[in-house]
Amino acid sequence: MRARYSPTVLGVALAILAPWQSGRAQPSGNPGSAPPPASGAAVPPAVPALSEAEILGTPDDGIHIQSVMTRITGFDQFGNGYQAQGGPTPLSPGSERATVLEPQAEIEATQGDRWRHSIHVPVDVVSMASTHAIDVMTTASKHVEAGAIDWAADYKMDAVTDATLLGGVHLENPFRSWHGGLAGKRAFADGDTVVSASVVEVFDWFDRFDIHGGRHGRTDRSSASGSVGITQILTPTTLFNVNYGFTLQLGELGNTWNSVPLSGGQRGPEILPDERSRHAIVARVAQYLPWNGALHLYYRFYADDWGIVGHTAEGELMQRLSRALYLGAHYRYHVQTGAYFFTTLAPSDGSLRVADSDLAPLGAQTIGGKVVIDTPAAGDFRALHFEVGYDRYFRTNDLQINVVTCATGYRF
Amino acid sequence: MIGRAVRGLRAAGACAALVSLAGCATVPQNRRAHFADPMMQLTPETLDAARQQKMYDSREGAAGGDGAPSGGGCGCQ
Repeated sequence: MRARYSPTVLGVALAILAPWQSGRAQPSGNPGSAPPPASGAAVPPAVPALSEAEILGTPDDGIHIQSVMTRITGFDQFGNGYQAQGGPTPLSPGSERATVLEPQAEIEATQGDRWRHSIHVPVDVVSMASTHAIDVMTTASKHVEAGAIDWAADYKMDAVTDATLLGGVHLENPFRSWHGGLAGKRAFADGDTVVSASVVEVFDWFDRFDIHGGRHGRTDRSSASGSVGITQILTPTTLFNVNYGFTLQLGELGNTWNSVPLSGGQRGPEILPDERSRHAIVARVAQYLPWNGALHLYYRFYADDWGIVGHTAEGELMQRLSRALYLGAHYRYHVQTGAYFFTTLAPSDGSLRVADSDLAPLGAQTIGGKVVIDTPAAGDFRALHFEVGYDRYFRTNDLQINVVTCATGYRF
Repeated sequence: MIGRAVRGLRAAGACAALVSLAGCATVPQNRRAHFADPMMQLTPETLDAARQQKMYDSREGAAGGDGAPSGGGCGCQ
């Protein structure tokens, strides 16, 4: 980010520096006034005094683009889950094969001295989603294109306080989603401590399908979220953050076309509660290493009233090889209990039931790495950013994903 | 189950309170140079965070709930 100085502060600084800079030539008199000419000496031409506006330019409330980032990610997923139809028998798990191509772009811009805008546009192209499941009967999820626009406007209220307005819309073939919110942060102790908080409301409106692909009008859900966090500089090389978040979801909490194997030998729809309270607490540490490296540690605890308790631990080690180039390697382990109504064979009595493998007890691991180049540039760009990375995700209940991502960035 | 969760949250809150006491010893501005290194960013940049959220929110029932919007997407919960 470019350094920003208020005209008043710079004006005061110039006024303070002026007598010092010209003091040797003008031991007395008003700062900026011409010294009395020595007898016989040539009179230097008078230098007109410059106004603040001439030095600093006139205040500009126009929008200036600061950076443009782009990223494209490919997800290639293999596996089977009991929520999917199309297995060898009606009670067997079906395929979860899917590929997702996700281009994204983000533009950051400033407006005057106080406003900073960020616009994020992700696009998803999903193909082969559940090729042996509901798509046997319908194309409800076989090929999906989705797009979203997320917008954040940050207003710097004073030197230590920021307020941010959040908004966004998500568009997908059978799905619409809107969200809006407010976030704020305030620095204390000379910036050593930053306290942040946010509230966000999400409203989803989407088509209701049955497990045979029939469309039955529309349904909806809402999610109200709040979070508070604190970021603390612990030492000159250690940064710490802890964040607590709460989400309350109401409405249709499934995708409506997932199915559950029933004890009668057939399949039926999921039956889910229409309310879910979710709690998550996250702790992060970033430690600079003396050999030009950095270590990141992450831990997350999760619990909800569906009976799911999760623990996630992650470590990332980064090593700078030159001023512009660094490498990163990371490992993530996640373990969770299942929802109390998870089953792979449910009775046909209409009680709560779900066979979604994502809500099952499971362990998941991710291992990956990345190469990052951040290099200063000449001309219109101040800096260029390139990144390429690979992740391998694998789960104890038969799901594997290969993820390849590539990013470019331009800072103006 | 919820009791365990509440106990875990209390323990985490106590840890956070203890760590925040370190704020009493201010690190001067001129000793914060390492924090300007992109490697030291506590959270990934926006697009990297979004693709990670996309990957985990739609595949792990224990993902989400962090106070961030996560509506939409194939396989959403």
